[in-house]
Amino acid sequence: MKLTRIQILLASTLLLLSACAGTPKSTSLLDQVHTQYSQAQSNPKVATYAALEMQAATEALAKADAAANSRESLETVDKLAYLTKQKIALATEVANRKASEADIASAAAIRDQVRLDQRTLEANQARMKAENAERSAQAARDAAAAATQQKNIAQANESDAQRLAADANARNQQLEAQLAELSAKKTERGLIITLGDVLFSVDQAKLNADGVRMVQRLAAVLQQNPKRAVLVEGFTDSTGTSAHNQELSERRSMAVRDALLDLGAARSQIAMRGYGEAYPAAPNDTAMNRQLNRRVEVVLSDERGVITPR
Amino acid sequence: MKQISKSWLLGACVVGSAALAACTSSLKAPATADVAVSQAAVENASGADGTEFAPEDMRKAREKLALSKQALAAKDYKAATDYAAQAQADAKLAQAKAGSAKAKAVSATLQEDIRVLRAELDRAATQ
Repeated sequence: MKLTRIQILLASTLLLLSACAGTPKSTSLLDQVHTQYSQAQSNPKVATYAALEMQAATEALAKADAAANSRESLETVDKLAYLTKQKIALATEVANRKASEADIASAAAIRDQVRLDQRTLEANQARMKAENAERSAQAARDAAAAATQQKNIAQANESDAQRLAADANARNQQLEAQLAELSAKKTERGLIITLGDVLFSVDQAKLNADGVRMVQRLAAVLQQNPKRAVLVEGFTDSTGTSAHNQELSERRSMAVRDALLDLGAARSQIAMRGYGEAYPAAPNDTAMNRQLNRRVEVVLSDERGVITPR
Repeated sequence: MKQISKSWLLGACVVGSAALAACTSSLKAPATADVAVSQAAVENASGADGTEFAPEDMRKAREKLALSKQALAAKDYKAATDYAAQAQADAKLAQAKAGSAKAKAVSATLQEDIRVLRAELDRAATQ
């Protein structure tokens, strides 16, 4: 009987113990907090930036777990679990804040770099613009200088041409005046100056004083117009033999040529021909006409020295 | 025998009530300190724009601070300490949320600045 009583007591004690063991070691909130804790632990930001806060959360979780394991009231476990939950959230927020602050620091550096790049670009563009402007200005100056130079050259050419034209004009006028004094005749072969019979001694090839004066004027013309040349042509009338007349015509034209050479004309300027009684200026019927035929004609070349042959 | 037992009972009562008094008075000071710390935490969080960025956490913090003060007034020091701890945790979380939200906003602004600057730079470079 006594044994039975003891047995009943033991059994009831065991029952009580087992009932006690049956109370949960965790709560749904504590389970949830464990999940959140694992998430926070695997968050690299939390590991990097919120180690201290995470340490506090770890300690809080240990307390909550200890309370659950020592079977304290659900209320107590939940209170500790709640505190743990808030500390885990705090660790996450602190980690987020510090990560953002790190982003801000690097972003500020990047922004400064971009601004610097922008200023550099602007400066480069400004410099290029200035250089282009300087190049354009230089090109314009060069062009202006070239234009001025060309203008000067043109002016110089023009004045040269004017001067040459004026010189030529003056020479021509002088020549015309001189030729007028020599009573030159314009013909198809050019200007012809006739040295008549009266300028020679009778039947001789020697020039008299009047003839020498005429030749002096002609020599002056040749000296002043070195590009011109003369052809000295001698003629006679039909009196006497042809041979005599041919010889006389040659001697008279030679006399004129020699006189011109003596007076300073160049040998290259003077050509000479004797035609005898050929090419009469008039019929050999009267004494007057025959005198006209006894003559020396000097054909003056054009400006290039060309004489059309008879 | 009976007298002895009576005097024992009396002594036990005296010791017990003394112990209880010691116990409650030993809980009073830390509870008061906890409430004060929580009060400061709530004020800090409020000053750091917690109300603006984490209104729900701030509401809970203020509520629990009020409960801890009530418990303190009712000399329920255990409850006062518990509520104060919760109010402090809520307030700290609110402050941290405000801090991270503000930092995130600044970071986003900076990223946008950089994006705009880069776009300008690209446009300028292609001109």
